[in-house]
Amino acid sequence: MVAAAASDTAAQRRAAKRSPLSVAGFKKTVSRHAEIGIFLIAALLILVFSATSDGRWANAYNIGTILQVTATLGLMSVGVALVIGTGEIDISVGSTFGMGALTYLSLVQQIDPPLAALASVAVGAAIGAFNGLLVTRTGTPSLIITLGSLMIFRGIAIALTDGFSFSVPYKMRSGAMYTAFGGDSIGMFNTGVFWLVAALIVLTAMLKLMPYGNRLLAVGGSAASAHSRGVRVDRVKLQAFILCGALAALGGTLEAGKLGFADGSMGRLMELQAIASCVLGGCLLAGGRISLIGAVMGAFVLSSIQSYLVVMGVRPQWFMLLLGLIVVFAALGDRKLRAWALKR
Amino acid sequence: MAHPLISVKNLDLYFGAFHALKDVSVDFNAGELVGLVGDNGAGKTTLIRVLCGIHKPTKGEVWFDGTQVKEFHPKLAIDNGIETIQQSVGLCDNLSIARNFYLGREPVRKILGIPFLDFAKMRGESRKVIREFGLRDNVSADDEVERLSGGERQSVKIGRAVEFMNRVVIMDEPTNHLSVREREHVNELAVQLKEQGLLVIYITHDIFQVHKLADRIVIMENGEKVEDARTTDMTADELEEVIRQGGRKVEKRGAA
Repeated sequence: MVAAAASDTAAQRRAAKRSPLSVAGFKKTVSRHAEIGIFLIAALLILVFSATSDGRWANAYNIGTILQVTATLGLMSVGVALVIGTGEIDISVGSTFGMGALTYLSLVQQIDPPLAALASVAVGAAIGAFNGLLVTRTGTPSLIITLGSLMIFRGIAIALTDGFSFSVPYKMRSGAMYTAFGGDSIGMFNTGVFWLVAALIVLTAMLKLMPYGNRLLAVGGSAASAHSRGVRVDRVKLQAFILCGALAALGGTLEAGKLGFADGSMGRLMELQAIASCVLGGCLLAGGRISLIGAVMGAFVLSSIQSYLVVMGVRPQWFMLLLGLIVVFAALGDRKLRAWALKR
Repeated sequence: MAHPLISVKNLDLYFGAFHALKDVSVDFNAGELVGLVGDNGAGKTTLIRVLCGIHKPTKGEVWFDGTQVKEFHPKLAIDNGIETIQQSVGLCDNLSIARNFYLGREPVRKILGIPFLDFAKMRGESRKVIREFGLRDNVSADDEVERLSGGERQSVKIGRAVEFMNRVVIMDEPTNHLSVREREHVNELAVQLKEQGLLVIYITHDIFQVHKLADRIVIMENGEKVEDARTTDMTADELEEVIRQGGRKVEKRGAA
């Protein structure tokens, strides 16, 4: 009887330890999953924004808009997260996004939207291959290489558009195929959101459940160790860059489909938002530890903040400043949380 | 025995202007435990890094089982059945023991033709090694390697090499960081592997330790092979004297 009671309390203690609702359990969850921080930040911001915006922020239309922006930025962010996972970085994605948008818009009037989208993704993959080959073949830091390609492809985008914008006539902006690539919404969800969800599921499965993911994270954790185990380090990095370029161009395609036009500045500064999304989402810039869902949540937080500033009538001049400040504070809060979780 | 399993002929390796290996020629046979001995910077690790595909020699030939090796990459060495336990590399801190265990040759189960990691196998095999090497009770196959002590890391590397052993096991300072009991275990394993017909190359700077295990001792000094003798022909004391003299010879040459 006494023994039974004792084992009972032991079982309860164990249960308390495991339950994510207890402090100890929560601590463990945070220390194991770096992306918890961004989920808490998102929840907090949703509460604050809903409470202080008088219904202007938290309504179906606005949330739909936020999710559309999250979709395009999120696709770019998961791509960047994969490259960060290998211990490299790709800051050229803003320009790749623009090139993807322009490719799609220039082709979609002549050929079917799926083919135009495929061409756009191929252009993105080619830009990724350009980055990846230069980084792996020359051993030059990826920051410098992709800084160069950021400017090169922005330059090409500006030269192509020559001060004008590429656009699709209104009468062509319909049909199931056009709708499928960001052109319209299903319910409150822009079709881009479905692409993001699909990409997130496929890439997460690849990262966690397939050999390629194991090797990708190994390369980021210790390239020398991965090499010594027979992993083709350069090949893994090149593949990550190609995926990243393709995803950024897909994001550009979906944004182009949504807007129906694009100029040479499409996607400018988005590369910085994508990197911020990754870092906020729990990706370690040193490589080896990334969270794709975290990167997407990071993109959601950034688009929510932007949207809040818009609906609150903050003058656009202050956007960058405020966005930057909120990012800094969110990052600090996340750091504090993680430091607390790792403390015994 | 028709030909040696690994044959190195007149090997030279430069790192930039630094001459790391100087005209090294040595044969290794299957079923042999060879001690590769020398002071720090003698070129032992560099030599085995050529054998396991990390470094490509500048000049000279490497023959494996009768065919000349033309391309150097760890993947090819591993595919040829050469397992290497290295000092500083081999484990990724950010991955679990199970994931590290099969890194580079992950077992998969295909579902609709898509290769998914076979976690059951990965965990099962690494759990076996964890038990066999007596890691702490609370270490699980899903724990990140970051959590392990130096000795536990070494145990995982050795366990992995033994698990995949097929023709050659190269051990670079395998008993560093190990407790006395773990060291005994590793040395026993090295002898067992040899008895099963594998070639074991055991690198250390402790000549007395390896003399007890090895059939042959190869001594390197300053990038050159200075001695190659059977342990039945030379005692550990004599061999230690060679190591000492190797050092002095270099000094004399420098003075002249």
